[in-house]
Amino acid sequence: MPLYGTLDLTAVANQLPTLANLDTEAWILPKAEMLQLLIEVPRSSTDGLLPKAMHPALPSYVILAVTKYSESPVGPFTLAMLRLGTRAGAHPRGFMLGAVASSEAAAKELRNRWGFPIETGEVKFLRRHDRVMGTVKKNGKTILDCALVDPQPVSGTDVQYINWVTAANAPIDGQTQTMLIQVDPKYTFYKAERGKPQVATFDAAAWNAPGLLLADPIVGTCCTVDTDLPRIRFVMDPLKPVFQGTRRIRESRVDE
Amino acid sequence: MKFGLFYEISIPRPWTRETERTVYNNCLEQVKLADELGFDHVWAVEHHFLEEYSHCSAPELFLTACAVLTKRIRVGHGIVVCVPEFNHPIKIAERTATLDLLSGGRLEVGTGRSATWTELGGFGANPDTTKKSWDEFVRCLPKMWMQETFSYQGEFWSMPERTILPKPYQKPHPPMWVAVTSPGTEIDAAERGLGSLGLSFAGFEEQEKKIKEYRRRIQSCEPAGAFVNEQVATTNFLFCHEDEKYGVEMGKKLGNTFNYLATQLISTREVFSSPSYQSLGLLPALRRAATGPDASEQQTEGMAYGDPARIIRAVKKWESLGVDCINFILNANEVVPQDQVMASLRLFAKEVMPVFAKKPANVAAAAE
Repeated sequence: MPLYGTLDLTAVANQLPTLANLDTEAWILPKAEMLQLLIEVPRSSTDGLLPKAMHPALPSYVILAVTKYSESPVGPFTLAMLRLGTRAGAHPRGFMLGAVASSEAAAKELRNRWGFPIETGEVKFLRRHDRVMGTVKKNGKTILDCALVDPQPVSGTDVQYINWVTAANAPIDGQTQTMLIQVDPKYTFYKAERGKPQVATFDAAAWNAPGLLLADPIVGTCCTVDTDLPRIRFVMDPLKPVFQGTRRIRESRVDE
Repeated sequence: MKFGLFYEISIPRPWTRETERTVYNNCLEQVKLADELGFDHVWAVEHHFLEEYSHCSAPELFLTACAVLTKRIRVGHGIVVCVPEFNHPIKIAERTATLDLLSGGRLEVGTGRSATWTELGGFGANPDTTKKSWDEFVRCLPKMWMQETFSYQGEFWSMPERTILPKPYQKPHPPMWVAVTSPGTEIDAAERGLGSLGLSFAGFEEQEKKIKEYRRRIQSCEPAGAFVNEQVATTNFLFCHEDEKYGVEMGKKLGNTFNYLATQLISTREVFSSPSYQSLGLLPALRRAATGPDASEQQTEGMAYGDPARIIRAVKKWESLGVDCINFILNANEVVPQDQVMASLRLFAKEVMPVFAKKPANVAAAAE
């Protein structure tokens, strides 16, 4: 059967965000501008990054995303994320390895509500006619400098965003446990562009992914979307195969 | 109704040289038996890099071995990838003609364009252009087979005048098909006069719609080849056993394993935004069905597993929808022991195939 990750999250539980509960309220995030670059990475460099419950994507790839949220319950902020392409059972997912938000308020809420492994830094999303750029600085050091080069219009129906998974501690069955949390935003597209990914600087260690090597670019997209961060519906045991260890903690959204 | 075998050649880890060889030998043993039992076709896919799911990257070699081992069964490329980075069209014409000669005119040529980023990215192919290159290849192949000399100037490939050799044994050329997974490809098949090689596991209702549309459109087609190959084939799992409960149980295990492995593939749409891959092909249905390799709840309608009576009911339903041929997947990751695969084939041939055997002309006339 398919390979599994090797990361025992329970062994690093003290490094994970801790949620007070799983009753996170949803955020509505209108007119977000999302830059997303997909890049293949050597499987050997992702071996230790993937939880035991999940299968690696074949080939391994990462998603570098820089998103400008012009409206949110904590005000405007820009968010950069590194996600590792994976499979939760039969379903494609992006396991969140690291994130940086431009505001402390946003970082705090994302960490405490959805389990983002997030810090605060200087995150910029810049749109130019020949490229869309994302840069991230932490403590004055550039840890990401990337771009989508030569953006060309495509239809929003051509773009597929896969759901995310975070790792966190949260109370369930009367005790705090380490778990995987599914974060599954919805998207309504206003504009979509596609281009070539380009990465000038990527500090893997600063994204909690030491040893991760970027290899072959797949594609980049930049989209304007209405999106959200929904209530948590599914959590997963980090050590059991997802098809055995998934728990639904809330019914699907009323609009689903 | 015709019956065939359909091979992905799924091989479980660990991949020792003996496991890969054993699985290939098991497949050949099955094909040899199927030929003796009266099955009509053996199809083999062309897939690359699809770990465990399919180790069938050189189907023309596997099919050549099948042809040499058998006398009657037709051998089908199901499908050859018509994307220049994968296969040069001259090589496709040459290889298929050679296989047709070696099999004594038993070749069927399925065409397609690949659906996974794993494969397209691996060959450095541009997903945006695979439908276009497929169209070019499909138009050229019959001419390359039939014309003494051939030259071509196209968007994806060109060649000066040469004589492409050898020529196929079948005249004017082998029947051509196209793999139908994404919605709308059945229309592509119909408009070009190609057989519809269904590779999805959709339920009755969806298949019926597709077949009706295919039959309607093919009546006014402009065939890509020298003749219209109006045939609808669909894919199914086969496990036939005297005990219905055990047959269903083992069939589900086979189906669930296959589906779970299939859902691990990276569909092109999942990572590469392209108007050419708006659909996930067969993956959405598989993901709905594949909650896990040991899922117990799923029972997709129309599956050919269980006892003969149950399978006969399923096949009759497919027949009533207008399916001409069912191609069976016999194993995935070797979850069905080889002796049980062989017994299943024998039982199917003994109990199920006669129900669907074409009546001799005199019997049919007498019945009327």
